[in-house]
Amino acid sequence: MNPRPDTTAAGNGGTFDPRQAAALLDQTTQQARRQLEPAQPWLLVIRAVVALAIFGAVWLNTRGQHPYQHPTAAIIPVVITFGLLNLIATVTVARRATAGLSGKSRLRPAEIAVLAAIWIGVYAAMVPMAGAGVSDSVVYGLYPVTVPLIAAGLAWAGITAVRADWRGCGVGLAVAVTGAVALSAGPAGAWAVAGVGLCVTLLGHAAVIVWQQRRSVVRP
Amino acid sequence: MTDELDPLIHVPTRLKIVATLAALPDGDTLSFTRLQDMIGLTPGNLIIHLRKLENADYISSEKTGNGSASRTTAALTSRGRAALDAYTQALRDLLGGL
Repeated sequence: MNPRPDTTAAGNGGTFDPRQAAALLDQTTQQARRQLEPAQPWLLVIRAVVALAIFGAVWLNTRGQHPYQHPTAAIIPVVITFGLLNLIATVTVARRATAGLSGKSRLRPAEIAVLAAIWIGVYAAMVPMAGAGVSDSVVYGLYPVTVPLIAAGLAWAGITAVRADWRGCGVGLAVAVTGAVALSAGPAGAWAVAGVGLCVTLLGHAAVIVWQQRRSVVRP
Repeated sequence: MTDELDPLIHVPTRLKIVATLAALPDGDTLSFTRLQDMIGLTPGNLIIHLRKLENADYISSEKTGNGSASRTTAALTSRGRAALDAYTQALRDLLGGL
């Protein structure tokens, strides 16, 4: 964007009529909300589709297994690749949106460490579980789908609740509920329930953001 | 007709500055360069308007660091937020009567 001088005739308020002011106030507010939003709706929609596709693919891959064993080796690199791409895209977009922004809304290092420890810890726990003879349907089915969603969802809900960020808290709770509901769907079904739940959560989150961004400040 | 509107805010550039800072989450500040980029002003113009708003205690600014590492941030004060709320309400009243 090229900087431009403030050369409007209404520079001192002279011919700046209330209708123009109301339009400018709404336009500027909506533009600022869009530019400062770390969770861009278009990315949330892409993530929703990808989550549905990936979890759906694992469900298709495992639903015919009787007894349940684990997703085949071919699909695991795909899941990990999309997981990493999702993380990179989310962080990149969020960093661009929050460039120059500082204060309470930024995640503190301790909060990032807690979230990272949860993600690493729940997956690292699969190794001793497998060694202890826990069944494959739990170690490679229910556990890796549901526990990360429940633990990370609750942690996120807690972090955002402390900041009075109720939208973020709602998203965290929805993710945790998705994990809890998936627990009751069996090892293969858990992948399908998690995919649908995450897709709905992400689409709902995108819809709420778009609604908040477009809300008029002059005409509530 | 526009007597009810705060003359300090009722200027396109300052209205844009105040509205942009009001979109920040509570307790957050925005760097001078990002604010300049979002509003599309020259540094000189932005400084002039920020100074007027700061003199009225509508915004607060803070400079950290020295030389090329220095960074200036701005935020809306509670007084500034109240002034924007009052301005918005005055606009609503005026537009309702138009």
